[in-house]
Amino acid sequence: MKKQKHKNALYLSDRQPLAFAGKIGVLMMYIILASWAAAIIWPLYQMIVSAFNGRQGSYLILNREFEFSWEHFEYLFEETLYLTWVKNTIFIAVTTAIVILLIVSFTGYAYSRYRFKGRRASLMAILLIQTIPTFAGIAAYYAMHTIISNIIPAFSRQMMLVLIYAGGGIASNTFILKGYIDSISTELDDAGRMDGCSSMKVYRLIIMPIARPMLAVIGLWSFIGPFMDYLLPRVLLTSPQTYTLAAGLFTLINDIRNTNQPAFAAGGLLTAVPIVIMFILLQNQLVSGLAKGSVKG
Amino acid sequence: MAVYNEFLYDTIGNEHPRKNLYLLEVARLQEQIRNSAKSDKTEFVRELRELKRNRKSHPYNVSLSAFKKDEKTFRKNLSESKKAYSREIKGRFSPKITRLKILGFLSGQMEPFYKPFTGLSYDALMHYEEALIIQRQIDGVTEFISEHETAMADAKAARKTIGGEDNKKARAGLFDFKKIQRQKYKADIASLRKKIKEGIISKKAFEAEKAQLKKKQAYAILVKSYELPGKGNRELIKSLHYQVTKGFRREITVLNANIADLRRKTPVEITRVVPVNAFLSFFLPGFGQVLNGQYIKAIFFFLISIFTYVIAIPYSLGYANFQGDGIAGLISLAADGSKLDKSLIFMIEGTLSVYLIIFAVVLVYISFRDVFKVDRDRIRGVRPRNWFETKTSLFEEGFPYMVSFPAMFVIVFIVLVPITTTMLLSFTGMDPQNQSKFPWVGLENYKLIALGQGIAGKAFWYILGWSVVWTLVATTLAIALGFFLAVFTNNERIKGKLFFRTIYLLPWAVPSFITIMFFSIMFSPNGAMTEIITKLLNADAAIVVKYNPMLSRITLIFIQGWLGSSYIFLLSTGVLQSIPEDLYEAAQIDGATAWQKLKRITLPMVLFQTAPLLIGQYTFNFNNFSVIYLFNGGGPFNPTKYGNLAGSTDLLISYIFKLTTDNQYQSIGAAITMVISLGLMVFAFFGFRNSKAFKKSDTE
Repeated sequence: MKKQKHKNALYLSDRQPLAFAGKIGVLMMYIILASWAAAIIWPLYQMIVSAFNGRQGSYLILNREFEFSWEHFEYLFEETLYLTWVKNTIFIAVTTAIVILLIVSFTGYAYSRYRFKGRRASLMAILLIQTIPTFAGIAAYYAMHTIISNIIPAFSRQMMLVLIYAGGGIASNTFILKGYIDSISTELDDAGRMDGCSSMKVYRLIIMPIARPMLAVIGLWSFIGPFMDYLLPRVLLTSPQTYTLAAGLFTLINDIRNTNQPAFAAGGLLTAVPIVIMFILLQNQLVSGLAKGSVKG
Repeated sequence: MAVYNEFLYDTIGNEHPRKNLYLLEVARLQEQIRNSAKSDKTEFVRELRELKRNRKSHPYNVSLSAFKKDEKTFRKNLSESKKAYSREIKGRFSPKITRLKILGFLSGQMEPFYKPFTGLSYDALMHYEEALIIQRQIDGVTEFISEHETAMADAKAARKTIGGEDNKKARAGLFDFKKIQRQKYKADIASLRKKIKEGIISKKAFEAEKAQLKKKQAYAILVKSYELPGKGNRELIKSLHYQVTKGFRREITVLNANIADLRRKTPVEITRVVPVNAFLSFFLPGFGQVLNGQYIKAIFFFLISIFTYVIAIPYSLGYANFQGDGIAGLISLAADGSKLDKSLIFMIEGTLSVYLIIFAVVLVYISFRDVFKVDRDRIRGVRPRNWFETKTSLFEEGFPYMVSFPAMFVIVFIVLVPITTTMLLSFTGMDPQNQSKFPWVGLENYKLIALGQGIAGKAFWYILGWSVVWTLVATTLAIALGFFLAVFTNNERIKGKLFFRTIYLLPWAVPSFITIMFFSIMFSPNGAMTEIITKLLNADAAIVVKYNPMLSRITLIFIQGWLGSSYIFLLSTGVLQSIPEDLYEAAQIDGATAWQKLKRITLPMVLFQTAPLLIGQYTFNFNNFSVIYLFNGGGPFNPTKYGNLAGSTDLLISYIFKLTTDNQYQSIGAAITMVISLGLMVFAFFGFRNSKAFKKSDTE
């Protein structure tokens, strides 16, 4: 008994012992954090449950009995064009990422390392251009596609979409990459040049390997952007065969003829899982990449 | 009157005396005229006039023209003897050696010819010294190449004899060697094991040693394997091939660099004093480069001519258009075209023409500048660059332009052309009645939206008001939520940080279109949330958020708070973890309360570091189309207030979307686009002006 008391009296922490008010404060914090966590989990949980609930009809209703079934997934794969949408989305997103990376890796290098005529003016222009939203050209995109596809018949609307995304991404990503390359010491370049590297070799052998983490972040964001976008696919793509995931899944809840909300939940789940895993694994890179680009400029 | 300088200046800026004695005399007289008193002037002027009149008979000019004549015949003979020489050595050497031999032959001919004239003209001096340089280096290069080529031929010949017994023997040898190595390795490992047992080395050291031994063994075997005749021969040929191709290129580059060095140090002397070449060739890029004697460069500049005269000008005059009429189409907008002609296409092609013409003008000006600069420098004495020098400088100084070209191309044609078209469109009357053909209407559309008139313009001010409220409230809510959640989660007394962090990441990680659509389902008439809200409020009839404008707006703001807080949470967490602990300790010692620490340390630190991103969040939400459109399509609709086109939760962007795509009021949509683009630009401009990024790029 005596021993027990003694142990209680010994306080072994760097922090001050909590007063009663402090204890209440910590408790409140726990309550807030837990309730916010619940607020996040609940809708997602609902989505998962309804995706697997065989008792749900084409409209989702709360508190339906639960009966595990793959029915909605089967519907998704057999009755809708889900796989085509996945294919389209991946095609558009990957091509966009590649085009942006190809272009931006050069411009970022040029703007960081060279002091050429028109550099400041074009940097300003880049800053202003990136504030104009991509949709500003909506009315013209249609007609432009008509013109281009008349000259090059193979030019599909999806390619037009890729070009639009790429055009919209060049400005900001150049800026981000320029900021990153600025932080690479120019002494490395000088060393390379002393050994006889041309500009192209400095770019290829020195700058690109060092800038690879940033390039990965840019590539990832350029991939995610088209993936998440709804507006432009909705405007430019007209047939369900060419839809992306965002446009396609929306038809499952918006179009009365083929409304199937549980199937939407199933499709959403399938789409979200890989992305969520990727985000959780790469969260530090994704966030720090963005923050770096904007602060250092 | 042509004024001459007594000296010439080369590329580096060194001073050289003139070799043209006639011009030297002229220059001296002119100098004297400038410096002498008025009374003496007439005498000099007369002298100068005399000199100029007898220009042709001036002894220097006589000998110079004799030299030029000689040179002409020499060149003619040279090209013939070159032909003869190449016929003579044809087939006797490899192509590379042949090239070198011919080069050596030419320089061998040139050196004695130009030698007597080196005092007469700088051109002759340069040719002479160039020949000397070539002769000095050519033998070494030829020897180097032929040596390696012979070695390669030998190696290739040796290859045929490889095989059979020798190879088998070598293979067996290698096999034995491997065996021995393996035994040695095993013995080494055993002795190491023993050491472990005795406690001399640790387990870790043993592992490291083992890995090293393994590598050593593999390397020894690799080295030995080159003794295999087949493999060794292959490697030898590879290495020789590399030596020959790269070595040849390297030697030629060294030679060219030496010649370029000589060119930089040897001036050029011409009688002209006005850079007329640039003006002569203004309208034909490429021609001026020919006049300057830069032939390969001229080929590239002729491409500009082709672009200008074959693409840009015909296109803007209406040839080869898809449907439009070049720049003229911008004015007419297909007003009197055929039935199929579309005004919009005329407009786009007109815009395209304007950009092409701008490109052409810029390129022609660049060419003009180039010719002008080379010509002007030549008068001062600077020798025009040869192709080797131009190429080198192009890859260095021209590098940023070359590599940014694709970016510029995409930005001009995919971003600027559509934006310009939208801008022009906002001054036309493209509406449901005038889809195919529409006229210019001036500021009519802007007037409509400013006054809130017409079917399409009616709702503008309401929507603008809601957009602003939405942007401010929804973004601030998300920022506040994210920030406080980050502060709480990072509190030292909170346990389970990883758990909370992972959960709070989810709204950001799940594609937002999916969550928004699912929210839309949950708030639909028989959705989960509708049921819960009805139960909570104990209402008789179901309370459907989507039918009530005010509830819809509030719900949307909360949904955006749910979605947006995640990103802010992550950002703030990153900053919070980087704030040094001492700051808080210092505050603690000074007796600061938790609230004071938050207000004075945490908040400023986080805000300062994430400011540009937070500004970005506001502009993002102003244009947050998905959340509005996917949740309820901008509804609920309220025709008395908003007309039939927009709903009560529509933002400007979803309003524009509906105007342009569903209802075909493209012009008004374009006008609104212009208004908000301008607004955003101004907003961004002030935002960036204060940011570090802008200041930095400003001072550079």
